[in-house]
Amino acid sequence: MTPTLAPTAPRPAPAADEAAALQPRPDLVICEECDAVHQRVALEPGQTAHCQRCEALLGRGHRVSLNGLLAFAVASLLFFLIGNATPLVSISVRGVANAISLPEALWHTWQAGQPLSAMLAAATALVFPLMVIVLRLYLLVPMSRGQLPPRFMQAMRLVRFATRWNMVEVFMLGALIAVVRSAGLASVVPGPALFAYGALTLLLTSSSAAGLHRLWQLGDELQGTRR
Amino acid sequence: MKRTVRQVFASGRCAGLYNCASCGLVSQRRDGQVPHDDEAAHCPRCGSALHLRVPDSLERTWACLLAAVLLYAPANLLPIMSTANVFGHEEHTILGGIRELWDARSWGLALIVFVASIAVPILKIASLSFLAFTAQRCSCVNGLPRTRLYRLVEAVGHWSMLDVFVVVLLVGMVQFGAFGSVEPEAGLLAFGAVVVLTMLASASFDPRLLWPDEIDAPHA
Repeated sequence: MTPTLAPTAPRPAPAADEAAALQPRPDLVICEECDAVHQRVALEPGQTAHCQRCEALLGRGHRVSLNGLLAFAVASLLFFLIGNATPLVSISVRGVANAISLPEALWHTWQAGQPLSAMLAAATALVFPLMVIVLRLYLLVPMSRGQLPPRFMQAMRLVRFATRWNMVEVFMLGALIAVVRSAGLASVVPGPALFAYGALTLLLTSSSAAGLHRLWQLGDELQGTRR
Repeated sequence: MKRTVRQVFASGRCAGLYNCASCGLVSQRRDGQVPHDDEAAHCPRCGSALHLRVPDSLERTWACLLAAVLLYAPANLLPIMSTANVFGHEEHTILGGIRELWDARSWGLALIVFVASIAVPILKIASLSFLAFTAQRCSCVNGLPRTRLYRLVEAVGHWSMLDVFVVVLLVGMVQFGAFGSVEPEAGLLAFGAVVVLTMLASASFDPRLLWPDEIDAPHA
């Protein structure tokens, strides 16, 4: 998919605000980190463009198709459900076995007098990852069929925010350390959820690495055809 | 594979070009005028508020850093969890947990937890203070190394949350009554707050301040 370089049609604005109204410049890209302005170019799959001054990543050519991203999102949802419905670890002490899932661990922390810590962990390991997955599905299902979902803008802004506070990869490492630390006093067997969260880490990392630029661009094109 | 792109202006702000922080669209006033920093504008694509520089970036960064420094002491001095069994009751701080991993010969994991829980928060607070200080003085030198430092702070920031997850999981796992149980303690919340506050500090910091333009330093 090649980005369109032609400026998009300006929206009609009231005459008084005409001069102060903003005109899109899709031919340019500005570095988020140092404000240097660059000419926008179309990138081949696998190509990256970096800021000439501060070396920040400006853009990346996509290797995965839109349908590929949709498949990633569907798989992520599946692994998320497995990761929360099945035990993370089974631990046994003197014949007493205890299989624990993530929501149960959060609930114990809540009940043990640390509801805020439990909420912090729940937000970053459970709520925000789920938000990322659901919003990506909400955007990708209609967009892969050439339709713009209602409230496209709000969904895009929300997915950006949720991606920033998603800490599935940190949770994954934390789970491994918890297993090692408790292995000294009991026998610990990793559960299916641990592997599901491992897969979820890979899927979410690779689908958010591509960034949201392509979806914004596709949104522009779809909005153009609808109007 | 890198592709070279042509740089056209040193500063979008001096050229009157907005960069939407939400959708990345570049836009400019139709009459070509360069807007003031505090002029209200909205992205023609996504409708988000546009700013040539993040408003009150340094004030918000300093506020979050100060709060993080204040909470740093309780986060490290108070126990983050306690263990209990028939033999007694024991409280564990963050450093204590690292020591236990070390004594259990899990040197690699001890190192990871040390880096994530002790080194990263200190380095983040120190780095962001340094960056905010130099940005405040409109320092024009070493823009590239300072931007790299900021990038590093952004990339490693959330890994400090590690210990919060470890404790929550241990609390869930080790519930065997008299044979042993783990409870979370107040230090955990202070530590989590330090992590969130340093993340908010680096999110409020505008790295473009590391590259002063003619408006910031007209005689540079």
